[in-house]
Amino acid sequence: MSVIADPIIDPKRALRAARIAEFKSFARRFMRNPLGMVGLVIVIALLVCAALAPILATHDPYLPALSDRLAAPGAEYWFGADELGRDIYSRIIYGSRLTLLIVGLVIVTSAPVGLVIGAIAGNYGGWVDRIFMRITDVFLAIPKLLLALAFVAALGPGIVNAALAITLTAWPPYARLARAEALIVRNSDYVNAIRLAGASDFHIIVYHIMPMCLSSVIVRMTFDMAGIILTAAGLGFIGLGAQPPLPEWGAMISTGRKFIFDQWWVATVPGFAIFIVSLGFNLLGDAMRDLLDPHLRQRR
Amino acid sequence: MSENLVEIENLRIAFPREGGMSDAVRGVSLSLGREKLGIVGESGSGKSLTGRALLGVLPSYAKISVDKMVFDGIDLTAASPKLRRSLRGGRMGMILQDPKFSLNPVMRVGLQIVEAIRIGDKKLPKREAFKQALAVLEAVHIRDPERVFSLYPHELSGGMGQRVMIAMMVVREPDLLIADEPTSALDVTVQTQVLSILDELVTRRGMGLIFISHDLRLVSRFCDRVIVMYAGQIVETLRADRLNEASHPYTRGLLACLPTIDGPLDPLPVLQRQASWLEARP
Amino acid sequence: MIQVDHLTVNFGPSVAVRDVSFSVAQGESFGLVGESGSGKSTILRTIMGLNPDWSGSIKIDGQDTKSTSRTDLARRAQMVFQDPYASLHPRYVIGQAIAEPMRINKLPDPEKRTVELLDLIGLPGQFRFRFPHELSGGQRQRVAIARALALNPKILLLDEPTSALDVSIQAEILNLLNQLRKELGLTFVIVSHDLAVISYMCDRLMVMRNAEAVETLSREQLRSRDIAQSYTRELIAAS
Repeated sequence: MSVIADPIIDPKRALRAARIAEFKSFARRFMRNPLGMVGLVIVIALLVCAALAPILATHDPYLPALSDRLAAPGAEYWFGADELGRDIYSRIIYGSRLTLLIVGLVIVTSAPVGLVIGAIAGNYGGWVDRIFMRITDVFLAIPKLLLALAFVAALGPGIVNAALAITLTAWPPYARLARAEALIVRNSDYVNAIRLAGASDFHIIVYHIMPMCLSSVIVRMTFDMAGIILTAAGLGFIGLGAQPPLPEWGAMISTGRKFIFDQWWVATVPGFAIFIVSLGFNLLGDAMRDLLDPHLRQRR
Repeated sequence: MSENLVEIENLRIAFPREGGMSDAVRGVSLSLGREKLGIVGESGSGKSLTGRALLGVLPSYAKISVDKMVFDGIDLTAASPKLRRSLRGGRMGMILQDPKFSLNPVMRVGLQIVEAIRIGDKKLPKREAFKQALAVLEAVHIRDPERVFSLYPHELSGGMGQRVMIAMMVVREPDLLIADEPTSALDVTVQTQVLSILDELVTRRGMGLIFISHDLRLVSRFCDRVIVMYAGQIVETLRADRLNEASHPYTRGLLACLPTIDGPLDPLPVLQRQASWLEARP
Repeated sequence: MIQVDHLTVNFGPSVAVRDVSFSVAQGESFGLVGESGSGKSTILRTIMGLNPDWSGSIKIDGQDTKSTSRTDLARRAQMVFQDPYASLHPRYVIGQAIAEPMRINKLPDPEKRTVELLDLIGLPGQFRFRFPHELSGGQRQRVAIARALALNPKILLLDEPTSALDVSIQAEILNLLNQLRKELGLTFVIVSHDLAVISYMCDRLMVMRNAEAVETLSREQLRSRDIAQSYTRELIAAS
């Protein structure tokens, strides 16, 4: 590690240098996985689309042009136009914002909830573990989409409600995962050592158990994103997710369904968008698992 | 056909690393008759890799090059994977440090031995194979072979598991047995028993034994010859009873840095590693 | 310094330690030797409060551990574990690992003391910014020792401190431990399966077998073979 210049004078910078070196080695190993890179490119493309939607879009995604109803793909409408003459390409681009919004909302709510519940259950064991895990089991026992449907039906349709509903179905696997890791970590010698130094349970959970669960959770999260996109699209398709005129991909398929035989592009293009984005997240997840999964890592 | 059971010349093993290859074994040559040969070295010295290369069980990403690798007249460098597999199943055996990883956890140990026998001799009637399995369990000094026969691996103690492992290996009557740290997971009193069993079998059946260990003293007590490895090379080959005449500073350092029950209480001499030990030797 | 009376430890239905008593004087080095499963490591863990289910009495500095708070105990006694690969947090750099006990106990100036501790155990200060996986086994064990010394304990409990290391590294660690004991006036309790290590390191030792104490010997008794129990002789013969 030659990057560490003069650590005694500037310990903060040396620490940062050590972390950066660690990250660089991670990045190098990641780049050796071609499929993982494909996944990363797709995900980055999605982020770029969402960020630069107004620049990338050629038309206003909401403005109907009834004269161009169901226009075929061509120079004016790259991916064709829908039943109200709106440009499908522009709608897909804007739709990426909605997709990211749902994915982001679900992830930032479900993963931390699951992580905290799992880490606490695993660390304490005993009746705490039993209560938390039985609650988790109850949620796991109900099919995901069904549970989400029930919640949306209760809360009313809409994009935030759809995200909330998906969250309610998405946290239990994280809790399971975090608990399994916590059970291993809490008996490890380094946790024992710090317990002997007088650390509180809170300190151990926050600084020792949770960081060690994190890599499994991140892997699971990347995989889950694909599932979340599909569930969100599913809710949109049956009209319980994003409401028209929002250019949500699932809802777009739903309206395009009526013209599937004559104007195939209306339903197919958003379908492809969903397909490619979930493929991207899956590939990314695979690559992340190869690098981060503690069980796989030991075998190398 | 040579007299030696095993001959290896200039074995090199390298592993891909970030930015190139890293050499793990650098030009090892050795020969083995029907004797007990010890290979001693620290972790990372390449001792286990040498044994694994001979068996042909190195991971696929390892780069191996060797001028000559012969087992009982068979050229292993030219042997087909199928031939090597059948050699592994029959004429070469390996005992690993932890028997827990080498036994099938959901099969009674007796049946595993029977299976090993019947792989070697497909025509053998089942009843005969059972009889042989019990006999071999007795041969490794298991007091109640019938009871142990029907146990699962997790029900065995460490010493018992290692004996079952040895039984499973010797039942095929291999010509060559490679034992990789076979006793370092065992308690000292059990260690002695397991070693004497191994010794008895090797002597009686005229096998060749390669005993890989980090424990120089143990190896010298048990083997006929000792090879000392450091950083992928052989630094010295010694007759086990002449260990005190070791000339290489590494071997001498290894011997000196061990505390003994009756030894002096002064600070232990610490091995001073010299860069010259790493240089390629002829 | 340490007084253990009639200690019995249960793991569910099985007994891991049965009615064991011993005492260790200040500045003394005491060895527990025996085979795997003899209960020697369990005694150390129980002294440090890592096993909840035990009976008998354990006193450190004359104070019953049952009525001592964890932080109080932490400043009196610390433990070094067997496997240096498992006893350091894989995501923390060495400096964080050593300073963490001091931060938890709010000791002043952990940064400076970390450098001092590294110096004490013979590693350069730059090692603070390395991750455990960049260190060799011997270096990691040194770091584990430094972390155990961070709170200035008077007692160090060592659980097979060298059995995961190569013999050449073992000598370095044993020398370091002896030097630290002399310089800091520490009291040691060392657990090992290796009678030679115990004989080299310890003034007195207790031989254990099947959860029970076989006998307690001084180093002189061991070396002059003034031994009452045949099991101890067996152990000597085997090593």
